[in-house]
Amino acid sequence: MSLALYYYLSITAVNILMSWALYVPYRMAHLHFITVANMAISGYTAGYLVMALHVPFTLALAIGFLLGGLIGYLVSLFIGDAPTFAVVIVGFTFITITRTVIENMPAVGGTMGMFGLPNIGGSPSVHRFVILGILYGLVVLVGFLIHRFDHCSLGRAASAVFVDKDLAVSLGIDIRKLGILLQTFSCTLAGGCGVLYGFIYRSYHLDFFTFHLVGITMTIIFVGGYATMWGTVLAAPLLYGIPLLFPPEIASWRIVIYGALLILVLVLKPEGFITRRSVHCVEAFLSRRQKN
Amino acid sequence: MQVLIAQIINGLSLGSIYVLLVTGFNLLLLVAMIIHFAYPQVVVFSMYITWVVLQLTGNNILLGVLAGVGSSVLLNLISAPLFQKVMKNRGEVDINSTMVLSLAMGMIITDVLSHSFNRGLPIAFPEQISESTPVLRIGLITILSGQVWSLGVGVVAVTGFFLLLYKTRAGRAFRAIAEDPSGARLVGIPLLKTGLESYALTGILGGIIALLLATLLGSASPGLGEQVALKVLAVSIIAGLGNLPGGLVVGLLLGILEAVAQGYISGTWSNVIAFVVMLGVILMKPSGLFGTKL
Amino acid sequence: MKKAKFVVVAAMALVFLTTGFGFAQTQAQVKEWRVPFLNCLTGAIASIGEYLQWGAERAALEINQAGGIKGKPVKVIGVDTALDPQKGSVEMARIVEEVTLVALGPVPEPVIMAAMPIAVENGMMSVTATTSYEYAVKFFPWTVSWFPPTEQRLGELVAAWAALHPAMKTVVQFVEPYGPWPGMAEAHVKGLTSAGVKVLPKVDVPSDAVTFGPLVVKAMEQKPDGIVFVCNAEKIAKIIRELKSRGWTKMDHLLVFSSGDAPELYATGGADINGVEIYNYINPNLDTPRWNAFKEAYMKAHNGNQPPSLSTNYYDAVYMIKRAIENTAVTGDPKKLKEERKMIAEYMANMKDFHGIMFNWDMKNGVPTNKPTFIFSIQDGKKKLVKEVKP
Repeated sequence: MSLALYYYLSITAVNILMSWALYVPYRMAHLHFITVANMAISGYTAGYLVMALHVPFTLALAIGFLLGGLIGYLVSLFIGDAPTFAVVIVGFTFITITRTVIENMPAVGGTMGMFGLPNIGGSPSVHRFVILGILYGLVVLVGFLIHRFDHCSLGRAASAVFVDKDLAVSLGIDIRKLGILLQTFSCTLAGGCGVLYGFIYRSYHLDFFTFHLVGITMTIIFVGGYATMWGTVLAAPLLYGIPLLFPPEIASWRIVIYGALLILVLVLKPEGFITRRSVHCVEAFLSRRQKN
Repeated sequence: MQVLIAQIINGLSLGSIYVLLVTGFNLLLLVAMIIHFAYPQVVVFSMYITWVVLQLTGNNILLGVLAGVGSSVLLNLISAPLFQKVMKNRGEVDINSTMVLSLAMGMIITDVLSHSFNRGLPIAFPEQISESTPVLRIGLITILSGQVWSLGVGVVAVTGFFLLLYKTRAGRAFRAIAEDPSGARLVGIPLLKTGLESYALTGILGGIIALLLATLLGSASPGLGEQVALKVLAVSIIAGLGNLPGGLVVGLLLGILEAVAQGYISGTWSNVIAFVVMLGVILMKPSGLFGTKL
Repeated sequence: MKKAKFVVVAAMALVFLTTGFGFAQTQAQVKEWRVPFLNCLTGAIASIGEYLQWGAERAALEINQAGGIKGKPVKVIGVDTALDPQKGSVEMARIVEEVTLVALGPVPEPVIMAAMPIAVENGMMSVTATTSYEYAVKFFPWTVSWFPPTEQRLGELVAAWAALHPAMKTVVQFVEPYGPWPGMAEAHVKGLTSAGVKVLPKVDVPSDAVTFGPLVVKAMEQKPDGIVFVCNAEKIAKIIRELKSRGWTKMDHLLVFSSGDAPELYATGGADINGVEIYNYINPNLDTPRWNAFKEAYMKAHNGNQPPSLSTNYYDAVYMIKRAIENTAVTGDPKKLKEERKMIAEYMANMKDFHGIMFNWDMKNGVPTNKPTFIFSIQDGKKKLVKEVKP
């Protein structure tokens, strides 16, 4: 496998997972941007554990997941059923606070960043194999979990909250508990992604975890389709990969193109390219073919 | 004591920036039900247009101001139909759609500014606009003319728009078409004309804010809008969405809090302190300290 | 249902492969020396990327006009990373897989962190000519440092500055938390202390600060005799304006660090920064045909603006590459790519008497050993030499 393809696939996998981390709470209309802060916290923690304390990577990764989940759970106790804009502000606030704290921690490199994370397995090729394996294993696992969630009563409850919060309450849905569950899941996923993200680059820098990442994941979800998980799977590789093929003159306008695409999709196809209806149609078509 | 007074004055100056931007933000919310997260970027764009016209006309202030106001009105008129289209239900604030749309607009504006204006370098306004002559200086306490103007106009703007929206027929019409277009049409309010007037009004305010920021800051850079956007949104939410007087009070208080934190604790931690306080308020009272006006 | 899932998975795979096809390796015969430059041509610091690119392309133009390198033209290819580590890593991965002997960049530090490990792993030199020694050293021997170790060099420099102003007994620093800047501020402290100057508690500058009144009051409350600025160029200009509006008059007691010597400082500061002192590694007042030609071409292309200090870095880097290719057995043969990359890296790390556009210097194990530094006074957008500080 070419090196460029490895980086493309691994970063695409992270973008898919982070977009799903945003997708899950958005099922009940929460734009849960705290996930970027989770990435940074878990990533730097894992990096420190591996570099300074020589903790094995797998244990550091597990700690990264757990730490993300713990933070997500604790915060969700306050914002599990909060209005959307409160959740947004909390997310942005955490990103800012996290950056400032890390900047002032020489133990994790401070403003310089953390260099020279070791290769997992001792060699670059084994490292790449392991990282890619873990990432796509996670994509399959998390994709399965989200698929099950979307097709069970929890998913239907989240849809009800998205459409009409008051109606959902009157139907007996406990919005707070649902919010806690979804936000905790989202943050757990983000924590693990943060660890893996740094090990792709074998370094950590504060500017890996900025509002720019929020913009990327949001574009992926809203352009791909926010109503189903498949929109992310389509949009992540395309939105990351196609600009890499642009000639330099066009590539330099990448951000403007992303913004314009996002606006066009919001205006013309508000649910994104892959809508719930289109997924149902595909499923129905394939079921009919199977019966025939 | 002198230092504390100086920092409070600095805080009022910083707070006036938030007040101006929050007033425009809240106005758009009240007259069009739009949460325009990128409103600061629109204002910065107007600052750039003002600067371009000043450069082209040899610092003709009148033309520069007209260009700034005109560009703000134009951007408003172009973007308003987009916002209306994406909102799921007219008469309700749809934060998700409008926020995402405005974030996209902000991305475009910031990138266009860094690509196409002054080679991405910051712009500096001429002395006639950005003169920093002190009106008063006693030791460390300094009050600049730009600070007086921006705070003064901020207070006047809040008062003026509050009176306009809540005490005049025209203001009631603006709010009516935002809250319930069908109802507004039934009572005979011309939707298109009134809608255009409301967007133009917010555009004019945006242009004035651009001029005041040019006076206060003396310069602008492509990333200026992004730097303040988050705090502007936070001020609006803490005060209560759409609450004009609340925005004034919270904006000024936030400015003072930041200034005092920077002065007595640390510059980098001042942000953390300010955000932790905002976080606390949002978690305790999500509808805002002064209540939402929507 | 199983078939439906299979179709979906197959569709996903098709999407990946379709967008991944651009990463197929190509091994063309080299007809020119292609030097990719991982640069930030868009984004927040696009203005810096533009003149870095200009400098590198200027060198290529001159070299080609003089006959190229070993008879083949050199081409600097701008590769935009847009300040995005995600893009930077993929672009570097593509570069190392092509027939690339040596690259320029990346710029700036977050992209260096993401992309340089790839160059290191694949044994290819990428010249990071705008970052500090502390970043570059992590990637030796596959890059060179453009600057000597911070603590060693800056300490002497600010001590020399302090010596110019013997009445200056106390100094405060404005420090922004970005990359190597806090480390540079620490080096200043050591230098100033060694010169007998008391360094007062620093004033931290938040990255998103838009007004600077509170910070300036905090600094002036300490009644410093002098101030050193270790923050973003635009912020420095604004802080100086704020200082002046609060009665600061000793402009020559203000020192701007080298990274602050950027067009943003002059664009924002205007006449307000007249008299301020600044240190850097290049002397724009030099009067040599080569520098005069560079300066004239730059001003012609940039509306009469003077070339910023960093504009020569990648210009010199391209000439270093030229010299490395000419003085080693490098042929550009794809079959010998690995050994030739190593040859270039080893040669560049220990190059003796390199003729830079400003001065000559030696490299020892990737570190310049004898680069001078200069202290200037700013007047009407130009720098007037106050003192040359030799190592």
